[in-house]
Amino acid sequence: MDEFQEILHDFLVEAFELIEQLDQDLVELENRPEDLELLNRIFRVAHTVKGSSSFLNFDVLTELTHHMEDVLNKARKGELKMTPEVMDVVLPSIDMMKGILGQIRDTGTDQNGIKIHEIVQRLDVVSKGEEAGSTPSKAKATEKTANAKSSGSEKAPAGGETKKVYVNALADEPEVDYSKLSEDEVEAEIERMIKKKAEADKIRRQQVQSESGIEKGKSADDVDFNMSATEDESPSSSSKPEPVAPKAPVTTSHSSASEEKTVPTKAIEKNADKGEDAQKSGNSTTEQTIRVDVKRLDHLMNLIGELVLGKNRLMKINDDVEERYEGEEFLEELNQVVSMISLVTTDLQIAVMKTRMLPIGKVFNKFPRMIRDLSRELNKKIELEIEGEETELDKSIVEEIGDPLVHIVRNSCDHGIETPDVRAKKGKPDGGKIILKAYNEGNHIVVQITDDGKGLNPEFLKQNSVEKGVITQKEADNMSEREAYGLIFRPGFSTAAKVTNVSGRGVGMDVVKTNIEKLNGIIDIDSEIDAYTTIKLKIPLTLAIIQALLVGVQEEYYAIPLASVLETVRITSDEIYTVENRQVLRLRDDVLSLVHLADIFDVKRVFESHDHTYVVVLGLAESKIGVIVDSLVGQEEIVIKNLGEYLKGMDGIAGATIRGDGGVTLIVDVAAIMHMAKGIKSQAVVSESASSKTKSSPSDYTVMIVDDSKTDRKIMRSALKPLDINVIEASDGVDALTKLKSGEYDVDGMLVDIEMPRMDGYTLATEIRKYNKYKNLPLIAVTSRNSKSDRMRGVEAGMNEYITKPYSAEYIANVVRRNIGLE
Amino acid sequence: MSNKLQEVVSKQKKQQMKPSEGSADDILQLVSFVVGEEEYAIPILTIQEIIKPIDHTRVPRTPAHVLGVFNLRGSVIPLIDLRIKFGVPVTNKSEDMRYIVLKDGNDTAGFVIDRLNQAMRIRKKNIDPAPEAVVGDKSLIDGVGKQDDKIITILRVSKLLERDF
Repeated sequence: MDEFQEILHDFLVEAFELIEQLDQDLVELENRPEDLELLNRIFRVAHTVKGSSSFLNFDVLTELTHHMEDVLNKARKGELKMTPEVMDVVLPSIDMMKGILGQIRDTGTDQNGIKIHEIVQRLDVVSKGEEAGSTPSKAKATEKTANAKSSGSEKAPAGGETKKVYVNALADEPEVDYSKLSEDEVEAEIERMIKKKAEADKIRRQQVQSESGIEKGKSADDVDFNMSATEDESPSSSSKPEPVAPKAPVTTSHSSASEEKTVPTKAIEKNADKGEDAQKSGNSTTEQTIRVDVKRLDHLMNLIGELVLGKNRLMKINDDVEERYEGEEFLEELNQVVSMISLVTTDLQIAVMKTRMLPIGKVFNKFPRMIRDLSRELNKKIELEIEGEETELDKSIVEEIGDPLVHIVRNSCDHGIETPDVRAKKGKPDGGKIILKAYNEGNHIVVQITDDGKGLNPEFLKQNSVEKGVITQKEADNMSEREAYGLIFRPGFSTAAKVTNVSGRGVGMDVVKTNIEKLNGIIDIDSEIDAYTTIKLKIPLTLAIIQALLVGVQEEYYAIPLASVLETVRITSDEIYTVENRQVLRLRDDVLSLVHLADIFDVKRVFESHDHTYVVVLGLAESKIGVIVDSLVGQEEIVIKNLGEYLKGMDGIAGATIRGDGGVTLIVDVAAIMHMAKGIKSQAVVSESASSKTKSSPSDYTVMIVDDSKTDRKIMRSALKPLDINVIEASDGVDALTKLKSGEYDVDGMLVDIEMPRMDGYTLATEIRKYNKYKNLPLIAVTSRNSKSDRMRGVEAGMNEYITKPYSAEYIANVVRRNIGLE
Repeated sequence: MSNKLQEVVSKQKKQQMKPSEGSADDILQLVSFVVGEEEYAIPILTIQEIIKPIDHTRVPRTPAHVLGVFNLRGSVIPLIDLRIKFGVPVTNKSEDMRYIVLKDGNDTAGFVIDRLNQAMRIRKKNIDPAPEAVVGDKSLIDGVGKQDDKIITILRVSKLLERDF
């Protein structure tokens, strides 16, 4: 039983693969009906499925494929032309075949439910089409007998096999025009072929036997059964079964030695033929492959993930060691080992990733058929061009990308391509064209769908969405062309005047957007009215290990998937404008809305932001946003780990990763924060700009004096008195730093003594400069140390000015005034 | 002397007998720990491990008792402060503070406790259902165990590991 299951499994896998190819070939066939090579290939598929299914006793499937084979065989021999009408019968029959195969996969039998009679009749009509002209009555009679037999339950496979043997095992036999034979002769012919089929069956069985090791007894039984079926039939036929009958037992009763010998050779010949065929047709079925359970690959991928983390950690340790033991000899050796491991790990990762890759052709394959059906349904002429189907993608992505593509292509057919008469009026060729193209671009794969239809009209799109209440008139007025194109992805949006069963419900493109977002992909639309529409899907190659940009917000770090990062820019705070309570940035021709990462993640603001800030421009699907962060840390390869059941699905967090130092860094969910950004107004920066505005009088400025001598502090205070500014004092570096960090004072400048207990001026300056917020805080050293090296040290530590004691009161006041920008 | 020896041997025997005499099902092995002033216990088999406090990363937009996540040998695990969850004042870090990592099916999380107490065996018949008048979320308490002169609250691990926000 297990062996049977195994064979069944193999059969199903093979059958589904064959069918995938079949769909494409059939559509191609419609364009090139004379292509014998193509016909042969299609025929072979139907034939193979029929052969295997009869062996596995799937009677319904066998009958169906048998009739398909009839039609195809006629076409192959040039007796039947593959007109669209014929295809309209053949294609549904293939769908039905898929249905039956699906049923077999699910239930293990083909006996329940699917009715094939109607389609079989249609196939018969088609296959008879040509014959009917010559000698209708006889031909019909032949068909009838054949049908009667095949529908006689148990004999169905036998009836089916007859034809198969005729076309296959007896391929070398002269062509016989059955219509000219008498009924008796036909019967005799059938008998003869049944015998031949029994032989063929046996050959096949022995092939299977040699592979799976079924005992001989069983196979012999099977043959017996088949032969007895033949004998059952013989009495029913009128006259000439005799010449066959005596022969039959010989083949069955004892599998003689001679037969045993001839059979294997035959089998080998058959195989050789097959191989040649395959090579001739340029088919890639001869590739050497192993089927591996996806779970094993996933496990392997997980292990590689761990290894990558280990590598990151090792590299960090290496850096630390390098710093500490600079110049030591063992360092070089360590370096070599580390770089070797890092190289091998990267290669290994790529290699494992490749094992999970599938050509995108797997997805593209279903489109020729779809376009064909759609164009007939919509009465349009549409041609499909496919490029780059060999481009490879991770399996999980291939699975996800199918649906979005179907929706886009349907849309292009329905809304994009015009009907032939409209096209003629526009002076375009009456046949529309859709180009499906895939190619690699860096760490991404780009899938591009282009149609030469009517294009997108931004004005129409805006007006339509205002009418449907998707956007407000005001929003519409502010929209750029590109943003207007993006409207087609809004849920509820549809330009279709009426809902057809092809599209127009306003759901499809929303699905596209969600699916592509799930993959961290980017959608790009380009269009010109009456010329073309291009939709570009940019999708990262893999999902488990990604490149990420690490950013700092206050004291926290976050990882942003690099796939979603379009660019990073450094801006000053006055480049940020506020429009309707939202911050925006003018970036080249675009207006980019901004949001502070700290606002999204409720990061406690220990320090206010400073003059310069970084904006990470994120792009996802068709939208863009600028995220303000305090610092950019760098790019790193990270392994995505989930947060577990307890924290699953947290807003804005896609997962976590473990960094080289063993700490956990959260990964930003770009789609979610784009959504969250809409509800957040960045108050912090607003308040900051408000506070900087209020600095109208000198008393709004604060300067801190850091000196361990009370006298010195007093002198400085009195010197600054004429400026009329706030002065606070600190007695040493530690004290100053604490006061500064407490956020109690808004310090605009500092006067720092160098010689101080606990923390000297240089150290204080260095410490202060570590905080982003104080990168530009004016620091003025006030000291009696006067040598050049002291001054150099001051500059290195981050001092802005260097005042040597003794100094005049006016001088120091001027320096302070200049440094804090007091007019 | 031999008397004493006999005594010890018989005592040992008794102890060894203990688990078998009331079949293993009747006895619950627990680990007790202290949060604030109270002593709580959880079944020993739900504990994956107990570790000393390590650094964690804050996860934004979570309630206060969810401190964040930490790295336990390559796995990212949520960290929940039982003191905040139970409304007990959080004392400063002490040497005795531990993270208890609990596991129930696929759910794993670390819990901050003030200090560990002991491992113990309690007969099931000595465990009463949670009292009716318990304040707050009753289902968090699996039962109340009586041992000698004190009572211990036994927590329901599946409930602890359930997302509560």
